[in-house]
Amino acid sequence: MFLDKGKGAAFAFLYGAVLAALAALPFFADLFYQTFVTEVLVWVLFAVSFDLIFGYTGLLSFGQALFFGVGAYAVAISVLKLGLGTGAGLLLSVAAPVVFAAFVGYFSVKLSGIHFVIITIIFALIASTVAETWTGITGGTDGLVFMAPPLNLGFLKVDLMDIRSTYYLVLGVVSLSCLLLRRMVRSPLGKAFVAIRENEDRARLIGYDVPRLKLVSFVVAGGLAGLAGGLYALSLKYASATFLHWSISGHAVVYTIVGGAGTLLGPMLGAGLIMSLEHHLVNLLQATDLVVGSVLVFMLLMAPRGLVGLLQGRRK
Amino acid sequence: MDGAAGNVILRLEKVSKSFGGLMAVNYASFSVKKGELRALIGPNGAGKTTLLNLISGVHTATSGRILFLGEDITRLSPDRISHKGISRTFQVTSLFPGLTVQENIWAAVQSRKRFLNPFVRAERWRDVGEKTESMLELTGLSDKAGVVCSELSYGDQRILEVGVALSTGPELLLLDEPTAGLSTQESMALVKRMRSMIGGQTILLVEHDMGVVMELSDRITVLHYGEILAEGTPAEIMGNEEVRKVYLGC
Repeated sequence: MFLDKGKGAAFAFLYGAVLAALAALPFFADLFYQTFVTEVLVWVLFAVSFDLIFGYTGLLSFGQALFFGVGAYAVAISVLKLGLGTGAGLLLSVAAPVVFAAFVGYFSVKLSGIHFVIITIIFALIASTVAETWTGITGGTDGLVFMAPPLNLGFLKVDLMDIRSTYYLVLGVVSLSCLLLRRMVRSPLGKAFVAIRENEDRARLIGYDVPRLKLVSFVVAGGLAGLAGGLYALSLKYASATFLHWSISGHAVVYTIVGGAGTLLGPMLGAGLIMSLEHHLVNLLQATDLVVGSVLVFMLLMAPRGLVGLLQGRRK
Repeated sequence: MDGAAGNVILRLEKVSKSFGGLMAVNYASFSVKKGELRALIGPNGAGKTTLLNLISGVHTATSGRILFLGEDITRLSPDRISHKGISRTFQVTSLFPGLTVQENIWAAVQSRKRFLNPFVRAERWRDVGEKTESMLELTGLSDKAGVVCSELSYGDQRILEVGVALSTGPELLLLDEPTAGLSTQESMALVKRMRSMIGGQTILLVEHDMGVVMELSDRITVLHYGEILAEGTPAEIMGNEEVRKVYLGC
């Protein structure tokens, strides 16, 4: 299993190698491709945030879009309307969704199964309707376009109007967030989440405060989804009410199921592969959704544990 | 506290539970002493499992009080009751199916910790690891530690069910038909294994198999239609006319 010695070193090597390759990318790829990979990285973060709540804690939440949208608006509104810096905007893109997630989660985690799914959809629907209607603040479906001031990290200034700098910022934040999440799912807290996923009633009877732990997972997942939204807004210099639509959560669902839920690596692979598929197919045919849909159906039927499940199955 | 209650660990006072119009438990009062193995017997629908559900917090009593170590736990949630020191098993196996045997036990051992640190690797918790190891040995499942629970034989799952419940280090263990679904041979093996697992443990046991009851229990409480019909040593219960009539059928 994951306890094997040497696995840690192998992981560090692989993760380092992938990061090095991604860091070297701007030296080979054109700006168009850099923009594309920036976007992939954002959706990787969004997908792993969903994996925490769904793959590890067993809660199918369609609320992730809400937090993604709130995170995007936190950046846009901070910069455009509050006159705050990009750094403050990014911090708020975690803080604001955390507050929203605490509120939504407080009501949602009391429900389980299909009722939980539906209440998260309803919350996301309410939020996206409010965002569409309250155009004075959100710009509605037209959204808000803004100019991002440079991000001052103390030792260097990141020019966010520059595609390459933005790429590095996103790469840094996403890779650190993924490491943090990996640590969390392997921690005692992560083990408790998994116990809840496997058997909620049993977890409760051996002494886990299940509603509270679910809320913790929900809030952490919400904060990370918000950060993904904040990075997305920052890379596009744009936020719109459509970001909050519950179907945005559907992207994470597809990436996670195709890649393999409860693995972190799966959703990353899923996001990368499906987005690449769309990216390259879009020149060939219009109906890329048809291809993605077929891939999803195929994976559900043939490999319900996703790509990672396939890889692990081989090794056994 | 009256003198006789000195070593009483669990005390039910006029506990009732109704589901709609159905009285599942009716005015039940009894107490369990520390170190004793008390069996709860009675025909199907007598309210045995409901009683365990009330004590473990799965259901809340309609009226009456449940005292554990002198403290009123009648309205506490299952996780709070678990932390007070009561653990239970289920008639229908309730484990973490996708986790290994080791991870099942680990989850139960780890549950005693107040703060579930999200920033350390779980394996860093050596004390939890050691306790898990010793519980694995106690259950005799050490060689199957890496086996995914759902792939275990049914008999082993029943042992693990008891092992997980014991791994929280309870003061009182509630066993709900540990031998349910097992063949006579498997039952005997489980009882033998349990004997070594539960030494000295205070237990409230619900069991249909009278062989198991007679083999294990110190005292027996007989429930009938939610009411307590009789209480006594196994010999006394076997000799009780009324019990023979309604339950033992001989």
